[in-house]
Amino acid sequence: MSAKVNQSVPLRAEAAEPKAGQVAVPVWLLVLLFLVLYGGMVYFDRTSGWFSAQVYAPYRSLQEVEAFQPVSGAPGLIQLGLQVYNKPTCVACHQANGKGIPGQFPPLIRTDWVLEPEPGRIIRAVLDGLSGPITVEGQSYNGAMVPWRGGLTDEEIAAVLTYVRQNPEWGNKAPEVKPERVKEVREKTKSRNQPYSPEELLKISPAD
Amino acid sequence: MNYGPLVFLAAFFALATSWCGFVLTSQLQIGRLQQTNTTSGATVTYPVARPGLARQGLEVYRANGCAYCHSQQVGQSGTVIEISLTDAGTNQAATITALLNLAQATNNEATVWTALPALELRASSSAATNLLSGLPKSFLRGSDPTAAKAAVKALNATSAKAQLLIVPIGPDLARGWGKRRTVAEDFLFDSPVMPGSQRVGPDLADVGTRLPNVQSHLVHLYAPRLVAEGSAMPSYRFLFEKRAIEHGPSPEALVLSGKDAPPPGYEVVPRLAAKALAAYLVSLHAEAPLFNAPMTVASAATSTPTNSPTSSGIAATNAAPATAPAK
Amino acid sequence: MSSPSQPSTADTGAATRCPVASADIDASCRLPLVIFFLSAAAWLLCASAFGLIASIKFHAPGFLADSAWLTYGRVRPASVNCMLYGFCIQSGLGVALWMLARLGRTTLAAPWLVIVGALCWNLGVAAGLFGILTGGSTGFENLEMPGYAASLVFLGYLMIVVWGVLTFHQRRERQLYVSQWFLFAALFWFPWIYSTANLLLLRLQARGMAQAVIAWWYSDNLLVVWFGLVGLAAIFYVVPKLTIRDLHSRYLALLTFWMLVLFGSWGGIPASAPVPAWMPAWSVVATMLGVVTVISVFLNMRRTLGGKCLLFMRDPSLKFIGFGLVSFVIGGFTSAIMAWPALNQVTQFTWFIIAKGLLNSYGFFAMVIFGAIYSIAPQVVGHPFPFPKLVRAHFWTAAAGILLFVLPLAIGGILQGLKLQHADIPFADITKGTLPFLRASTMGDLLMAFGHVLLLANVGGLVFQFYRARAVTAWREATAEIQMTEVRL
Repeated sequence: MSAKVNQSVPLRAEAAEPKAGQVAVPVWLLVLLFLVLYGGMVYFDRTSGWFSAQVYAPYRSLQEVEAFQPVSGAPGLIQLGLQVYNKPTCVACHQANGKGIPGQFPPLIRTDWVLEPEPGRIIRAVLDGLSGPITVEGQSYNGAMVPWRGGLTDEEIAAVLTYVRQNPEWGNKAPEVKPERVKEVREKTKSRNQPYSPEELLKISPAD
Repeated sequence: MNYGPLVFLAAFFALATSWCGFVLTSQLQIGRLQQTNTTSGATVTYPVARPGLARQGLEVYRANGCAYCHSQQVGQSGTVIEISLTDAGTNQAATITALLNLAQATNNEATVWTALPALELRASSSAATNLLSGLPKSFLRGSDPTAAKAAVKALNATSAKAQLLIVPIGPDLARGWGKRRTVAEDFLFDSPVMPGSQRVGPDLADVGTRLPNVQSHLVHLYAPRLVAEGSAMPSYRFLFEKRAIEHGPSPEALVLSGKDAPPPGYEVVPRLAAKALAAYLVSLHAEAPLFNAPMTVASAATSTPTNSPTSSGIAATNAAPATAPAK
Repeated sequence: MSSPSQPSTADTGAATRCPVASADIDASCRLPLVIFFLSAAAWLLCASAFGLIASIKFHAPGFLADSAWLTYGRVRPASVNCMLYGFCIQSGLGVALWMLARLGRTTLAAPWLVIVGALCWNLGVAAGLFGILTGGSTGFENLEMPGYAASLVFLGYLMIVVWGVLTFHQRRERQLYVSQWFLFAALFWFPWIYSTANLLLLRLQARGMAQAVIAWWYSDNLLVVWFGLVGLAAIFYVVPKLTIRDLHSRYLALLTFWMLVLFGSWGGIPASAPVPAWMPAWSVVATMLGVVTVISVFLNMRRTLGGKCLLFMRDPSLKFIGFGLVSFVIGGFTSAIMAWPALNQVTQFTWFIIAKGLLNSYGFFAMVIFGAIYSIAPQVVGHPFPFPKLVRAHFWTAAAGILLFVLPLAIGGILQGLKLQHADIPFADITKGTLPFLRASTMGDLLMAFGHVLLLANVGGLVFQFYRARAVTAWREATAEIQMTEVRL
C-alpha cells in the first residue's frame, strides 16, 4: 500500500498541541463561590426539613407537619367505606356509580345480592373472590372477582359493604355490616383459599 | 507525578457522593416505604396495589408514552386551617361569647375573619342570630394550627359542634387537579413510575376522582376533540376496532358523533389495551389523607372550603394570588 | 509538528516513551473515527426525521395517528434517544478518543476493538429504537431503550472505553492537559450511571418513587455532567489550538472541573416532585452553584482570546464552537436563575423546560461536536471536505434553527406557565396559546434537519472520496503493467 496516501495532509500548518497558562483563579470568583454556598445552605436549612422522609414541600419541618395533622375523630363507617371503595379497591371494576360494566362487571345498585338482609354471602365474596358465571338482575356475567382477604381489614370490609348497602345515591337500603360480623365469617372460612363459584355461594345461608 | 489516578479518584469521589445522596438514600427513604395508614381516624391502609386490568393499563400508558404530555405530580403551595361550625348548640349566647373571645384572642393580621364582624355582634342580637343561621359556616380561616385547635376546643366546650378543617391550597389544586399534593406513597406499587415532566395535557394524578366514567375516557382516547375542544391530544384509534355490527350493537360500542362516528352498520369497540388504559386512568386517585400530606376529608356536614390562598397558616413561598375556583 | 517533550525520569518502563508523530496517531484513529462520525451523522438525520414527525403532530393531531408505531408518545422518545445515544455520545466518544491519543502523543490502543465496540453500540441503538417504536419503552425519560438494547449499548461502550483508558495509560506526554482530566473523568462517568440506572430500574426494580429519583439522577448526570465534561474538553482543546494561543488558566479549568463533577451531579430533582422536600432543595442549591462553573468557563475563554471574540469568526469550526460556548454560558445562567423556587413554579411542566434542554444538548454539546468534527475529520482522513461551502451553510442553518426553536418555546413556555398559575383560565385556552410558538419551533426543527443533511453530505462525501482514492490507487497498482526489463544474455 502506498505510504503517500496514508500521510495526513494538513489543511493548515498544524499548530502544536495546546498548553495551559498558570494564572491563578481571581479572588472575587472564590468569594462568589462561598457566598452562593452560604446562601444555598441557608436556603436548605429553611426549606428542606433536614432530610426527614416525612417532610414534603410546602412544610418546612417535621414539627410543622405534626402541627397540621387533623384532630382525630373517627369518620362514619360510610365515609370510611367510600375511601376504601376508591382505594382503588372496588371502583376499578364496579365503577364509581356502582353500575359496573355491562357484560363484564355486575352492578351493585339495588341488586338482590347486595340487599340481602344478612351479609354472609357478600362477606364471603369479598374475602375470597368469585369465579364462574353469575346472574345479576337478569344479566349474566362470567368474570372473576379479586379476593380481598389479605388486602383489607375487618373494619375496612365492614365499612365498604355498609357504604355499598346504604348508598343513598344508588337507592340501596340494607342493614349495615359490623366489623365483628366480618371477623366471624373470616374465622369460619379461615382455611379457604380459592374463590367461590356463585352456585356454591347460593347454597350457603346468608345468616351464616 | 502521575496525575492519572488522581483524576480518577476525584471523579470517583464526586460521583460516589451523589450516588450515596440520591440513589442510596432514596432507596433507604423511599424504596423501603411500606403501606401506611391514612389519617382519617380509622385504620385504612394506603395504597392498595392496582387490580389486574388497571395494572395492565399502566403498561399501555408506558408503551404509548402518555407521560410525555401528562404529568402525575400535583403541587401544593400552602395549607390553610379553618374552623367549621356545624351546630350552634343549645346555648347560643355561650357560643357567641366563645366566638367573641376567640376574635379578641387571635386578633392579628395573619388571620382572616369570615362571617364574624365582631363589632356588629355587640351591637345587636339580630346580627348574632344571622351569624349562627345557615350553618355550617367556616371561621378563623388562616389561623395557625395551635390557635385553631384551641379554638375548636373552646367552641366544643359550649354545646356547639366545631370541626377543624385543613385545606391544602395551590394553583394545581385550585384547578381541581387534586385535593392535596402527591407524595411518594401514591406511587408505591407502580412500576415503572412515570411522574411526567410536561403539561401539554392536564395532570393525571387524581383523574380517577375527577373523571370516574370509563366510557368518557374511552371516547376521549378514540376522538379527543369530541370531549375536549381544541385538544392537541392525538387520536388513539389503533387501540380500538371498527367492525361491522352483527347480531345487534355491542354493549361496549362507543357513542360517537360527527365525523368521528362510524358509518352506518359499523361500530367502534375498544380493544383490551383501551379498556386497560381506561381502567388505569379511573384507578388514579391521590386524595387519601396521609401523615405527610395532611388534610381533612370533606364530609357532607361541613361547608366546602374555598381554595383561594388569600393568606395561609404556613406562608406560601410564592404567593400566587388565585381567584375563586372555576370548577 | 508537535514538539516532543522531555520524557519524565519518574516513568517506569520508559523504553519507548518517545512521542509518536501526529500523522501516525491520526492514521491509527482513522477507521474508528470514520465509523463514529458517519454513524453519528446518520443517526442525527434519523433523530431529526422523528423529531419533525413529533413536531408536526401538534399542528395536525391526526397526522399519522392511526399508526401505533408513530404515535407521539413513541416518536418523541425515539427522536431523543437517536440524538442522545446515536449522535451525541457516539461522536463525543470519537472526539474524546482522538483527543486523548493526540494529547498523550500516543497511538490509539487496539483500534480494531474500538471498531467492534462502535458496531456493537450502533446495533444497540438500532435495537433500542426498534424497542421504543414497538411499545417496549421503559417509561423513564432519556433511558427509554429496553433492557436488551441497553445491554448491547453498555457492552459497546465498555469495549470503546477500555481502550480509551488504555490509550490514556500509555501516554508518552506525562504532563496532563486540562482536556485530559475532563475526558478521563467522562470515560468512567457513563458506565457507572448507566449501569446503576439500568440495574435498579430494569433488573432489580427499586420500589415506587425511588425509580423516578434514580431516573432523574441519571438524566442529570448524562445531560449536565457527561455532556459538560466532553463538551468543555473539546472547547478547551480546539479553541487554543486553532487560535494558536495558550489556554488562559489551568487553575480556572480546575475550578470548572471540580464544580462540574461535585455539584453538577446533584441537580436533577424537579421542585414539585413527590419526594421528601430535601431532595428538590438540594437540587436547587446545586443548580445555583452552576453559576460559578459557567463564570469560570467564560472567564477562561475570554481571557484566552484576549478579549478578541471575533477570532471565532475566522474558521468554520471555531464558529460552531463559539456558538456552543455562548449557549453553554446562557444556558447555565438560565438554569441557575430558573432554579429559584418562585420562578421554577412558573416554568416547570412547560415548554420552557424543553427549550432549556435543547439549548444544552444541542445548542451547546452538538454544536461543539460539529465544530470538532469539522476540524478533526479532514485531518484524520487526510482530505479536505468535498463541499466546504456547505460547512458554512450548516453553521448558519444550525444557528438559525436553534434560535428559532429555543426562543419561541422559551417565551411560549413562560406564558404557558404564567397562565397555569391562574385556575380561572381554562386549560384549552392555554393549549391554544402555545400553538403559534410551536409553529415557530417546527420551523426551527426543519432548519436543523436541513443542517444535518449537509453534515451527512460532507462527512459521507469525505469518507467516500478517501476510500475511493485508496481503492483507485490500489486498483491501479494491482493492474499496472509489469515493467519488462530487457535481459541481455
